[in-house]
Amino acid sequence: MFFKLLNFLCGYVTITLPEECLEKFVNIATTRRIYLWEITNSIDNQVALKVRLRDVPPLRHIARMTRCRFHIIKRSGVPFFINQLLHRKALLGGALFFIIVLYALSSFIWFIDIQGNKSISDDKIIAVVRQVGVHRGVPKWSVDTAELEKTIIQQLSGLAWVGVTVDGTRLEIEVVEKVLPPDNGAQIVDLVAKKDGLIKEILVLSGHPLVKEGDTVTAGQVLISAAIPPPEDEENDKKIPDVVEEDELQQQVQFVHARGIVRARIWYDGYEEVKLREQEKHPTGQQITKLCMKIGSKEIILMGPRQVPYTNYIEYAEVKRLPSWRNIVIPVEVITIKYTEQRICYHEFNRTEALRLAGEQALEKLRSQMPEHVKILHTDLREVKTANEEDIVRVRLTVETLEEIGVEKPHQ
Amino acid sequence: MAWKDLKNKVKRQLSDYMDLPGDIMLDLPKIVLVGNLQVFIENHRGIQEYNPNLVRVVVSDKIIEVTGENLTLRNILPDEICVEGKISGLVFLS
Repeated sequence: MFFKLLNFLCGYVTITLPEECLEKFVNIATTRRIYLWEITNSIDNQVALKVRLRDVPPLRHIARMTRCRFHIIKRSGVPFFINQLLHRKALLGGALFFIIVLYALSSFIWFIDIQGNKSISDDKIIAVVRQVGVHRGVPKWSVDTAELEKTIIQQLSGLAWVGVTVDGTRLEIEVVEKVLPPDNGAQIVDLVAKKDGLIKEILVLSGHPLVKEGDTVTAGQVLISAAIPPPEDEENDKKIPDVVEEDELQQQVQFVHARGIVRARIWYDGYEEVKLREQEKHPTGQQITKLCMKIGSKEIILMGPRQVPYTNYIEYAEVKRLPSWRNIVIPVEVITIKYTEQRICYHEFNRTEALRLAGEQALEKLRSQMPEHVKILHTDLREVKTANEEDIVRVRLTVETLEEIGVEKPHQ
Repeated sequence: MAWKDLKNKVKRQLSDYMDLPGDIMLDLPKIVLVGNLQVFIENHRGIQEYNPNLVRVVVSDKIIEVTGENLTLRNILPDEICVEGKISGLVFLS
């Protein structure tokens, strides 16, 4: 293979010789360290053989010595190919032209990609970029990405960050928009209840309260409405034109951003049970590791026991596989399984202890439903008794909290 | 001639005794046949005859005759010849 490649690079010729003088010719050539190969019979008592281009002049000398003529019938290899190419100037020029054009065209920007914008339109960003003088078809070297980033961020106020990169013929503009806090008053927002509860106190900063202290509310109910109806006393005064159009009344309704604090008492209910005889597992400290290799569906154990020597254990498997590329998945996995021996022991509780434990567990469960740092007003733990005595303690826990339940929701 | 025979005999015994390969000590050809497709002859002294049915290669004091069909010399180096084709026989002629 290497020889063939070398011969191709250096160039070689196929020559023909009359059969009768082949032996002498070949013997002299080989003693002079001329490499000949593929000596085959050709037509009309002629023998064809191949020889390197640089060995042709010494071969002429040998031919003169042995008095036999050879004819070159075929030239192959890179030197001849180049020679051939040099004669075809148009082809060479075309190839050169192609390369130059490819290079020249690749130094312009042909695409502008914008990513990450949601509220600001592509056209707006492109318009800003165009102002600076960057558009489709400008040369790459004229684009100063840092400068462009700066101008985009200055021109468009709604952007927090802009990244401009030139990737080949593509200008990539990545933007991150500012997340503005909900604006004041411009939005029409109701305050609705987050949870079911009993209103303890209500403080209205803006808006029209629809509930009062002592009311029970359900989740989603509007507490403070954004729509403020016109003051009633005013309406009473102007009762004279009874046919004051409804739409005028409608016009007087003001819409605001409802604001306020609504605290309510909320009840949580939970149930928990604790067995008097609890099974517990403790690690003994013994552990064993098994290393397997999975090829297809076959599993080969490389290291470790075939059977786990423990009666009670926890196994933890770690699977390593080769990264998949495109849709080629190599079905080989190395699995390390760790077995840790466990000792089972039983824990006995008496009834009061179990009750306390159940209460704690129930409270813990309910805590996950409550917001953090909530004020607990009252807890009530009751044991659920069944007709016949069991070795299990069941409890029902009711927790009463005081929470702020108002959440903003667009007015409908 | 007797002197040469004696020398050869001593050489052979020496190479046998010292476990040296004969192709180095005794200047013998090393011939490798690959099925009936190829034959490599190392340590040759040139070719004597070539045509598609017969190749004669000179070795130290003998001639190796390779017969077959469509024989070609794949390559010729100063110390190795490779003959390719459908080989039917290989004969030593002295």
